[in-house]
Amino acid sequence: MLARIFNNLESLICRTLLSGFVLLLFVQIVAREVFGYSFSWIEELSVYMFVWFVFFGASYAALKGAHNRVTFQFRFLPRRHVKWIEAFADLFWVAFNVTFIWLSYDFVFNKMNKFWKSQTLGIEMKWVYVVLPVAFTLMTIRILQVNYIKLVRGDDVSDPDQIDLDAIQAETPATRVQEA
Amino acid sequence: METEITTLLFGSFLLLLIIGAPITVALGVSSLVSFVVLGDNPIKFVQIAFTSVGSFPLMALPAFILAGALMEAAGISKRLINVAESFAGPFTGGISAATVMACLFFGAISGSGPATTAAVGMLMIPAMIRRGYDKGYASAVTASSGGLGIVIPPSIPMVIFGIAALGMVPPPEAVAEHGTFQSVSISKLFIAGFVPAFLIASSLLLMNFLLARKRGYSGNAEGWSMQTITTQLYKGFWSLMAPLVILGGIYTGFFTPTEAAIVAIAYTLFVGVVIYRELTWKSLFQSLEATTWLTGRVLLILFTATVFGRLLVENQIPAMIAESMLDLTSNIYVIWALIIFFLLFVGMFMETLATILILVPVMLPVAYSVGIDPIHFGVVMVCALGIGFQTPPLGENLFIASGISNISIEEISLRALPFAAINTITIFIIAFVPELSLWLPRLLGY
Amino acid sequence: KNFKIAVGDGAGGTQEALGKAFVAALVENTGGAHTGTLFLNGQLGSEQDTVNDAAMGLLDFSILAINNVTPFSPSVGVLTLPYMMLSLEDAETLTQGPIGQELVENTLRDSGVRILGWAYSGFRVLTNSKKPVTTVADLQDLVVRVPKNEIMIATYKAWGVNPTPMAWSETFAGLQTGVVDGQDNPYITVYSMKFDEVQSHVTNLRYLFSIEPLIVSEAVFQGLSEEEQQAVLDAGQAATEFSAQYLREQEEQIKNVLVERGMQISDPADGEQEFIDLATSEVWPQFYDSIGGVEKLNEALAAIGRDPVATN
Ligand code: NA
Ligand code: NA
Repeated sequence: MLARIFNNLESLICRTLLSGFVLLLFVQIVAREVFGYSFSWIEELSVYMFVWFVFFGASYAALKGAHNRVTFQFRFLPRRHVKWIEAFADLFWVAFNVTFIWLSYDFVFNKMNKFWKSQTLGIEMKWVYVVLPVAFTLMTIRILQVNYIKLVRGDDVSDPDQIDLDAIQAETPATRVQEA
Repeated sequence: METEITTLLFGSFLLLLIIGAPITVALGVSSLVSFVVLGDNPIKFVQIAFTSVGSFPLMALPAFILAGALMEAAGISKRLINVAESFAGPFTGGISAATVMACLFFGAISGSGPATTAAVGMLMIPAMIRRGYDKGYASAVTASSGGLGIVIPPSIPMVIFGIAALGMVPPPEAVAEHGTFQSVSISKLFIAGFVPAFLIASSLLLMNFLLARKRGYSGNAEGWSMQTITTQLYKGFWSLMAPLVILGGIYTGFFTPTEAAIVAIAYTLFVGVVIYRELTWKSLFQSLEATTWLTGRVLLILFTATVFGRLLVENQIPAMIAESMLDLTSNIYVIWALIIFFLLFVGMFMETLATILILVPVMLPVAYSVGIDPIHFGVVMVCALGIGFQTPPLGENLFIASGISNISIEEISLRALPFAAINTITIFIIAFVPELSLWLPRLLGY
Repeated sequence: KNFKIAVGDGAGGTQEALGKAFVAALVENTGGAHTGTLFLNGQLGSEQDTVNDAAMGLLDFSILAINNVTPFSPSVGVLTLPYMMLSLEDAETLTQGPIGQELVENTLRDSGVRILGWAYSGFRVLTNSKKPVTTVADLQDLVVRVPKNEIMIATYKAWGVNPTPMAWSETFAGLQTGVVDGQDNPYITVYSMKFDEVQSHVTNLRYLFSIEPLIVSEAVFQGLSEEEQQAVLDAGQAATEFSAQYLREQEEQIKNVLVERGMQISDPADGEQEFIDLATSEVWPQFYDSIGGVEKLNEALAAIGRDPVATN
């Protein structure tokens, strides 16, 4: 149960945020076009929700192994070698993230101006920026998790672009006629 | 110092790409290393991470991705393609021509090339095979037309181009020489892509006609069925309204692109739930989820590409590149040719959105300095990268078409070559005749 | 050293003029030892970003709108209250006198950046595409674009209208296509953005006088020798004086060009009294706390010879 929630954490957060800001923007359009009224806080709030959505979404993409790599140079290498090379490349990713987590923690809690508040919401910008250390920490865990699945457990975490394709094929039996 | 940093930055970037690091990591790590070598404090990354992503116009990206996914789930896409198919008539290459048209129709609601290929290919590739078309040819037509999805608005690559180009000022020397340049906006780009998209579609139709005649693909025996067309038009009424809602809102200036996408989402939910009744909770969740990882993946690249671009700007590297290019030649046609061939080459290996984010800071200053209009440049760039979808080794449309037809990527890309060739010729025409892109936005008062 | 100077606006505005004047004076005062490069159009990040960057010593100088300093040093907000200044002379008195000195010190204390000089951009005049506006009543059926700024939003609300916050990058298109009817900005901006192509009426409102400080990173400033510090301060002062002169000359010229291009310029009725009364009575009290109390407001009012507001 806990494991299921943990593995769907970003997905849950992001679906909520995405529905939330889409709804807010819709309310703003209706209010403006129908009632000639504008909520001054909607634009700012929706942009902040969007930023949170993006960085948790990036973590989710890491969990799905969806971050684009250039792979044509590996075409003639067996898959089992490629995943070690990619794991080596991911070390740079982890190093980058750890650096960034430290930098963003330092920025948010030490360096950032303490008066800095959002203009229309009045909340301290610190609590908006805090998404950076949090989401990058989560993303780093996901990178390690995916490599664990690939290298230790030996399962494949395939690009979700490919999964889409399987779904398409499943829906169109007509395409399979010849190799049936 | 500048050349050393350029070498370090691009060198480590390419090295990381070659060992298979994600593009965003290659950009981020090479920038980080360069920052440290230059003695700059990388804490700058933190604010760039937030502000590069936190902009209102950028919200058009997830909104259009979500709108596209929902239209699929709501059954809007399917009906749109059925309408196009019903027009496949008794003439040579009729059904494959209908495929091109279907991509154009579908492109008007979707902002993505692979999504266009998948949606159209799913229905049209089997249909073509049933009528005796060669499987390789059927796949090639679809993969080649899928690129229309990003040229005809709405277009996710154009959103990204607009964001990347928005903050870039024309260099003062360029303004002194060529006068002021118009400002970049996503709405303008969307409108500018309209005529070029029809031009590319026409060129694909022409090539299809020639090839179909050679291969002896005649039309169907029954001729046009007025009844089928009417039925499909009737069934597809609400689907055909979708592009009108999106484009009409933007073209009349009623909505910003972000708002148009939001309205499209609302419209799709209404049609999917109330009229077609095909939208389920499960497909709604799936659409939200796909939007999440697609957006997260692109915009993480936006963050690192912005840092990368900032390094270039602070060290005035784009100006140097522009200068050395102008030393080579200042003939605008030669420059265009270099730009297009370079984009075609990069498009073979690289993902489209990342390419735009990385190349705009480098190439737009070159374009400005020879007097190329930024909107015109954006249209040509997106058109040229659209071909990348159909060229190996990384050709997203090829993968999808190959998945549907079970034909090897090599064979499809070979069959797609004539289409790529005529497409390239069309892009040269679009590049050499700026009015093709700039006339419509001006007419509509942008 | 070649300092990096971030500039929020593009070429042709008062920010760039101030920056150029500052660089010229800096080169002269230091005998060519120091100079600066302007990075226009927010190439080094948004205006608010540059404050943080300068505070951390990552950036040398920045020229930005005052309302992007306020979030970091709230007491500066006294300069952004509606109808605080009623003329360029008021603005000069406030920024260059003892009040200005106090704000410089507060900003240094709060946010680690030092204000060196000021660009004066003039009053934000209201433009619209529909009709001449001279009274508060005329405003009622107009959709006006404002930046995401609480004081400006509050002011329009005090006049009984709901302004539409819209990103600057979308504003021109928004005016052109009628998503919004009007906006307010200084004459120089109206002219450089070619708003006359999409707007036909101007109202000479004076509710906000745009001032744009030049800030230096205190870390960078303290890294200079005493002589160099003085040279930088003097260059800031010279640039400020240049800016006031520049505004006087430019604004007159621009008004004439705009009229030639068919814009109709009008003054608010009754010396703007209705606008002033509504704004000051409703908006000022909302911001007493953030600027450090009503006394701060009264000090500023006294400095320019206006009546204080009642304290309780
Ligand atoms: Na499209
Ligand atoms: Na390709």
